[in-house]
Amino acid sequence: MKVSFRGAIRVIVTLVLVLAAFGAGRELWAHYMDDPWTRDAKVRADVVGVAPDVAGFVSDVLVQDNQAVKKGDVLFRIDRARFAIALEQAEAVVDGRKATLDQAKRDRERYEQLKDVVSEQKTEQMRMSEAEAAASYRQALADRELAKLNLERTEVKAPVNGTISNLSLRPGDYVTAGTAKVALVDTDSLRIEGYFEETKLARIRVGAPVSIRLMGQAAPLRGHVESIATGIEDRERTVGNGLLANINPTFSWVRLAQRVPVRIVLDEAPDGVQLVAGLTATVSVLEK
Amino acid sequence: MSGEIDIYGVYVPNLLALMVATLLVSLVVRRVLAFLGVYALVWHRGLFDIALYVVLLQGMSLLSQWWLS
Repeated sequence: MKVSFRGAIRVIVTLVLVLAAFGAGRELWAHYMDDPWTRDAKVRADVVGVAPDVAGFVSDVLVQDNQAVKKGDVLFRIDRARFAIALEQAEAVVDGRKATLDQAKRDRERYEQLKDVVSEQKTEQMRMSEAEAAASYRQALADRELAKLNLERTEVKAPVNGTISNLSLRPGDYVTAGTAKVALVDTDSLRIEGYFEETKLARIRVGAPVSIRLMGQAAPLRGHVESIATGIEDRERTVGNGLLANINPTFSWVRLAQRVPVRIVLDEAPDGVQLVAGLTATVSVLEK
Repeated sequence: MSGEIDIYGVYVPNLLALMVATLLVSLVVRRVLAFLGVYALVWHRGLFDIALYVVLLQGMSLLSQWWLS
């Protein structure tokens, strides 16, 4: 009798602990596997590739690498000489066309006064000459404005607030119009993007508070979920040669969760924390 | 908070570090239990030990969350 009682105690003690272990294991699983957190978040910022609008030699570079600039600050200047000459030419053309227009106007007035002597056709021709002269005068004015604009655009300005990065432009470099020469990191667009597995998306809501820990920096930052991406690439499908859908062969057993970028804004500008676009962060979405 | 631990530049998940720490703790706890003769009241020692480990791991996890928050 005593032996079986002891045996029952042994079984009960062991089973109670095993049950507790099941509960504990479930909690651990929920915390480490299901909670919406990821070690794979990146600090991101938009980068503006500042390109000159006109081509030419760089005469001055007014900024240094990693310098903070405000919107509208001049970054570099392109040699003005050619554009100054072009403006001079355009102004000369304006003067010439103005003289032609004045003469055509006088001629037309003269012919209109001599109504009884000259033919109607000749008067009409004079009117036409004046209209033509007026049109080419306006053309010349527009050309002058263009020349002025080109001259203005030799000063390349910062389009946004930001920081210059990886600057290698030097005076004397030849730049062509439309080729980005200066990378400007838009500091107003600094944000965190967390790459969350699709299995965790259901527990992320827009507006939920987020705790952010940058790799190697102790102080946690606060933020909140701004938005969740609406689409990611469908990796299973490509368009085949015959325009028919080309779907990958079946993948029944092991399936990998895809990841969706979630955009997180920082609630306050962090003091003493250097936010560098590209840093790795650990983010965890806190559920209310 | 879930996160990671920096071991000389190698970042490992908190859970891994907790598992190692719990292993050491559980070794000590098992010694103590054996010394107190608790194992006389245990049915399958292996089963008991593994359940003990999981419970301790959860305890350590809660402790670390409380510590970090």
